[in-house]
Amino acid sequence: MKQKTITQSMSWLHTWCGLLLGWVLFAIFLTGTIAVFDKEISWWMQPELAQNELDQAAASKTAQRWLEANHGNAASWNISLPTERYPALAVSTGEQRRGERTHLDPLSGEVLEPRDTAGGNFFFRFHFTLHMPRTLGIWLVGFAAMAMLVALISGIVIHKKIFKEFFTFRPAKGRRSWLDGHNASAVLLLPFHLMITYTGLVIFFLIYMPAALDALYGGDRNAMFRDGRSDAAQQQAPLGRERGERQTQSVPAELLPLEQFIAKAETHYGPGALAGLLIDNPGRINAKVTARPLLGSRIELTKGEGMSFSGVTGELLQQPSPSRPTLLTQRVMAGLHFAQFGGYPMRWLYFLCGLVSCAMIATGLVLYTVKQRKQAKGSRALLNVTERLNIATVAGLCLASIALLWANRLIPVELAGRELWETRVFFGAWLLSLAHAAARPVFVAWREQLYAAASLCIALPVFSLLDGLALDSTRVALEVACVVLGVALAWLAWKIPSRACTAPLVKSRPARLAGAEQ
Amino acid sequence: MNLIALALSLTLTYAGMLMICLGMARHWKQLTSPRIPAELRRACVPTGVLFLALAAYTCSFVWDTGMAWVAWFGMSSLGGLMLLMLLPYAPRLALWLPIGGGLVCVVLNLN
Repeated sequence: MKQKTITQSMSWLHTWCGLLLGWVLFAIFLTGTIAVFDKEISWWMQPELAQNELDQAAASKTAQRWLEANHGNAASWNISLPTERYPALAVSTGEQRRGERTHLDPLSGEVLEPRDTAGGNFFFRFHFTLHMPRTLGIWLVGFAAMAMLVALISGIVIHKKIFKEFFTFRPAKGRRSWLDGHNASAVLLLPFHLMITYTGLVIFFLIYMPAALDALYGGDRNAMFRDGRSDAAQQQAPLGRERGERQTQSVPAELLPLEQFIAKAETHYGPGALAGLLIDNPGRINAKVTARPLLGSRIELTKGEGMSFSGVTGELLQQPSPSRPTLLTQRVMAGLHFAQFGGYPMRWLYFLCGLVSCAMIATGLVLYTVKQRKQAKGSRALLNVTERLNIATVAGLCLASIALLWANRLIPVELAGRELWETRVFFGAWLLSLAHAAARPVFVAWREQLYAAASLCIALPVFSLLDGLALDSTRVALEVACVVLGVALAWLAWKIPSRACTAPLVKSRPARLAGAEQ
Repeated sequence: MNLIALALSLTLTYAGMLMICLGMARHWKQLTSPRIPAELRRACVPTGVLFLALAAYTCSFVWDTGMAWVAWFGMSSLGGLMLLMLLPYAPRLALWLPIGGGLVCVVLNLN
């Protein structure tokens, strides 16, 4: 057998890595891109909540009043303060931090009952678990991310004219255009692709590569994180670990007004930088108030960090301590992936870059079919399956995502388990798209599904206009963004030549991105 | 949030990519008229690099250093991609866009 050149073998690797994992990768990238605005989507999905011009201090007062009246004996209180992205006040009690949350009107303290919804959190969770059992999903996504890295690097090797064709895009030239589009979206955003894939893997380093943790710390995660903190924190660490033990000590004592702690924590984190308060043992002598900052005052992902005060005397118990270089490295990388820093301009940059990543994967998937169609040899059956799966993945997932937003508005508010029904609509729409893609001719299926997704996107503001639901800048921005994306999808669908619908597969030369004659 | 610096950064990254693009013979021919002396082409890439460097500087007025670099990479990439999409469809717009961006900056500055 003749020896293959490096380019040939890399090309083989690129094709199969990209094709087989491309479908999963597209799903991961699209949901990840949408999840950039997860809180905004959650806010949009709960139209019962209205924005108040209320500061966090006043909101904390309301929360404290309500909690003292209703849950005076709880072991702990958790207060989510209104923030720019999600301007609602919510409280929960007990150890369960993610348990049932009660929304309060920050002004009157009345209990609000927003609809149960899958929320933007659905996209966030799908992004790294694919809606599977957590560990299995994380492993699968990690595998796909490795394949993405392999595809990126093999892609760099086989793309010989990186700089010569840096700005080259020749539309309306069939396969040439698809290749140009794929190359350009990959090369110009290469820093983003590499960064987002690699940092995505780094987030779960303990799951993917646990050997070092097992060898050095006997698998004790907390011991490792304690070591990753600076010395000061290690001495203070025991203070934070007393929860539960001292609960027996229940000498009643009055809790200081919570807004004091907000003011104190803001001197450290900066104004408006707090996300919430956690109060352990409220109403007792050993009450402890922890102020949790918003993620995003710096690149480092500061999940779980906080500043603790005694709830009775107000003295500082625990300062957030800087991470040591090893932990800092990991957390900066995780932060780069989570994109919580830099405010809305940065969020939009991440969103747009993510969309381009999706386009890069999608063009790669289509490019395979465009190439195969022209080749006499090669499996027709595989080509056929690829075509159908491409439609169901690319167009189908867009359709399913926007269907989730529609489901949120259409499913009756009082239906039991309605957030489950929302996800059922998502997966139902996706399955329908697969069935539709299997049943219809390829080009017709592409057009119909893209048009369907586009019209759902464009028609989304209908609900707000008809129902007169509470509107604010976040919700309006979300709907405008949906309309813009809908127009883009419609343009894409419009560019699919209708002539090719009837032409036999082998002869057709699709130039969807560019359009044949226009 | 410093809006002027943000608009300036966006304009400068795009302009930087445009100048680097003009420095390539193929795109120089595509975008400029033959009346413009060809020697100017050699100045394009250095100008583009200068614009990109200036963009990094203006980014630092919007974000802290680390974040500014992240944003700079994102803006340069997206600016390049936007230019790439404009080249075949609206080459004139591709050339005039930085002027428009500059005007936006001026207007923002007046407010």
